[in-house]
Amino acid sequence: MTLHVTFRVGNARYVVPAAEVLHLESYETATHVPGAPAYVAGLVQVRGRLVPVVDLRIRFGLPAIEHTIDRRVVVVQAGTRVAGLLVDSAREVLQIDDAAFEHPPELVERQTAGFVKAVATVAKRLFLLIDIPRVLGEELRP
Amino acid sequence: MTTSSTTSSPSSNPTAAPTAAPNGASPTAGTRGADLVRSVQGTAQRAAHIEDAATRLASAGADQAAAAEQARAASEGMAASVDETATASEQLARSQGSVAATAVELQKGLETTASGLQELAASVTTVRKDAEQLARSTDSTATVLEQSARTFKATAANSAELTELSTRLATSVTETATTVTATAARGQDTASTIEQVAATTEEMSAGLGRIASDSKQVSDRVTSLSVGLKGVVAALEQVAQDTTDNAASVDETSATAEELARSIRGVAELAGSLEGAATASASNLTEVAASVEQVAATAEKSAATVDGNAATIEQLARSAQLVTKSAQEVSSLATANATAATQLGAVTRKISSVVEDAKTTSVQVATSARAGGVTVGRTIGGLAKIRKSMVEGASVMKDMGKRAEEIGDIVQTINLIADRTNLLSLNASIEAARAGEHGRGFAVIAEEIRALADRAAAAASDVTKIVRGLQGAARDAVASSTEGLRIADEGAELSEQAREGLSTILHGVELLDGSIKNVSGATSEQDRVVQAVAAASARLEAESRDIARMTGEQTQAIQSVARSANEMRAMAKQTRDATAEQAKTLRELVKFNTQLTTSAEKVARAMEEQATGATQLARAATQMRTAAQRTASSMTEQIRIAGTMATGIVEVATATQRTIAGIAEQATGGNEIARAMEGARKHAVQNARALAELALVTKEIDAGVRDVARLAGEVSKATAEQTQGAAAMAKDADEVRRITKQTARAVAEQADALDGLATAATRQITSVKALSRSTTEQVTATEQISQSMRSVRARVREITTALAVQARSAVTSAADIASVAHEVGLLRIAGAEQVTAVAALAAGPAGSGEPAA
Repeated sequence: MTLHVTFRVGNARYVVPAAEVLHLESYETATHVPGAPAYVAGLVQVRGRLVPVVDLRIRFGLPAIEHTIDRRVVVVQAGTRVAGLLVDSAREVLQIDDAAFEHPPELVERQTAGFVKAVATVAKRLFLLIDIPRVLGEELRP
Repeated sequence: MTTSSTTSSPSSNPTAAPTAAPNGASPTAGTRGADLVRSVQGTAQRAAHIEDAATRLASAGADQAAAAEQARAASEGMAASVDETATASEQLARSQGSVAATAVELQKGLETTASGLQELAASVTTVRKDAEQLARSTDSTATVLEQSARTFKATAANSAELTELSTRLATSVTETATTVTATAARGQDTASTIEQVAATTEEMSAGLGRIASDSKQVSDRVTSLSVGLKGVVAALEQVAQDTTDNAASVDETSATAEELARSIRGVAELAGSLEGAATASASNLTEVAASVEQVAATAEKSAATVDGNAATIEQLARSAQLVTKSAQEVSSLATANATAATQLGAVTRKISSVVEDAKTTSVQVATSARAGGVTVGRTIGGLAKIRKSMVEGASVMKDMGKRAEEIGDIVQTINLIADRTNLLSLNASIEAARAGEHGRGFAVIAEEIRALADRAAAAASDVTKIVRGLQGAARDAVASSTEGLRIADEGAELSEQAREGLSTILHGVELLDGSIKNVSGATSEQDRVVQAVAAASARLEAESRDIARMTGEQTQAIQSVARSANEMRAMAKQTRDATAEQAKTLRELVKFNTQLTTSAEKVARAMEEQATGATQLARAATQMRTAAQRTASSMTEQIRIAGTMATGIVEVATATQRTIAGIAEQATGGNEIARAMEGARKHAVQNARALAELALVTKEIDAGVRDVARLAGEVSKATAEQTQGAAAMAKDADEVRRITKQTARAVAEQADALDGLATAATRQITSVKALSRSTTEQVTATEQISQSMRSVRARVREITTALAVQARSAVTSAADIASVAHEVGLLRIAGAEQVTAVAALAAGPAGSGEPAA
């Protein structure tokens, strides 16, 4: 059993392992980074350090939305890289059996450009496990 | 008788003459010588005288011979004249024959006329019947006939034609009169010629008497002359005989002429009666013609009028039918009108009741409007209250909205807190997980905190939802109340308007009430009027029905009138046809009159021929007279010579008493001859008187003919007057009824006149028959004249022969007389010798009394 942080982008539910999450933060606004890709919302200061924020909606090819109180930034650590993932809402943590994860269908894998590593169904709810490094991309490398 | 005395004297005289001298010289001796001497001297003187006389006698004998020759030539001329006369008489006879034929023709024509008149009379009777019927029919339709006034122009034209015809007739009559006048003139000429002939005859008679006496004297004288004059005497006897015969013949001629005169007188009388009959016939004919023309004109008029009437009546009938149809239509229309009026009355009553209802309704409406006004007033008050409540509610709602917004803010805060709490719990969970086993309890607490926070968030979310709903409700309520306010305002306004409308309605209802009252009055008035109209329509219907019925009856009556008009038309046509037939007959009659005129002209021509014959007769008579005069002059000459001879003979007879006695006897005979001549002259005078009477009769005929001409003129004038009358009659268009009656009357008169005309025609026929008879008698008389003329001619020829013999005898006598003269000369010489001897005897006293130197 592994704790996962769940969040929503659009109408899909995604999970990341809680071990890769540093903490969750409310999202007010981000400082725009000139020359950064379009999916990079900007820089935010979290607990004394500057974290680049990737807007998953843009990254996943969804249209941008107005700011809501539910939007949160999931601060993740992939190796040495720390980045924030801007999601529509993240209000739950969930213990998911590792065996529950399966490879996504080939079509889905190809379609999502490798962003989804596995899928798991918990209490009839489908969660997509994302590949953080791939989601973060080369641009965010220091 | 004269011949017997003259024949007795010559036998005694020749013997007496020679013995006279010796007898005279014998009485005494003494004085006898002287006496004898004187006697002888006287004898010698007488002998000388006798010689002279004989010489003169001889020359006279020669002259007598020449005269006898002349007389013969004259006799021959007379014979030629007599021949001409005979020829003329024959021509006269032929002319009279043609006159007779003409008279027969005339008679035939008159008979035809009579039969035509009888036909005409029958026709007129038919016409009279028709006219009476027509008069009755016309009487019944007389009022309609006033329209016929127009047709009288045509009648005027007919009258003008009548006038023209009358004028023509008058012209014909005038021509006839002229012809008659000319005939009269010719008759006068004939009369004068006859007078001349009479005078000539008289003169001829006298001449012949003279010739006779002269001849007798000559005969006596010549007979008394000597035996040698026997041939002369015989010739003279023959001449005397012939002359006597001639006288007898002339007597006969005279008698025949008298007969002819009587016949002519009779003819003249017949002509007079014929003229009278013709005049009567002409007047009757004129009367009938006028009447028939009048009738014809009237019939034409009537026919035209009746035709016009019939047409008018037919038109009237058609018009009446149309009127009837119109009347029926009017009747049906009136019925429809009456029905409509009744319906109108019903409708009006309905309207009246409706108006009454309307009145009631208007009262109700007024009541309701007043009640509505009250209600509206209340509504307005309610609406004001509602408005007030609404305004209050709106403010409450706004307040409530404000509180709800406050609640929302609070809920937002709560939600924010819950969100932070969730975030904190999640981070705690993540921290706890990182802590592993040490952080297990903490993870549980964090989870519970997250759950509470989630619940709180959920509750806040619910509250937010509720408050949002509350806020929406409040907003809706405010909007509603604002709307309600507006509506309430509008309602108030509308209510106010409604109140105003109601007051207007009330006012209108009041007005309506007045109007309805007016309408009610008007409708009741209308109802009354409509009832009157309905009654009038009913009356109109009844009357129009009556009118339709009456017009129907009228139409029937007019149709019956049209039928009677057609009958009238037929009758008028019949009348017109009959009248036309009559007119035709009359025209034939007129034509016949023309023929009559032609016959009259023929008669005139015959009379002219007769006149020519008479003129020729006169000329012949003149020639005869000339010849007779020549004969007479010759005879006169002879007588003169004979007188000379007689003187000589008287002288001789003086010498001899026997001679004297013989001369006395001769004188007696001459007296007898003179008496006989006187008788002959008397006959001639009678003849002349008869001729004068004939001339008188001819003058009377002339006068009659002039009267005829005058009558013809009067007829012409009367025809002109009739024409004027016809023209005037044409103007009397208004008096159709009277004219129609006149037609009947005129037809009756016409019938009467035709009867008269028939009678006149019969009389005329009788006259013409008499004329024919007279003409035949005249022809007979003329033939007798011709016969007489032939005998005269024979006698004249005998006279001529005798005159030739006489001439020859006269020559012989002249020779004898010459020998007598010679002898007397010898005698004278002897006497002279005797005288010488006696002178010698009586030488003493009367020696130188030689007288014979």
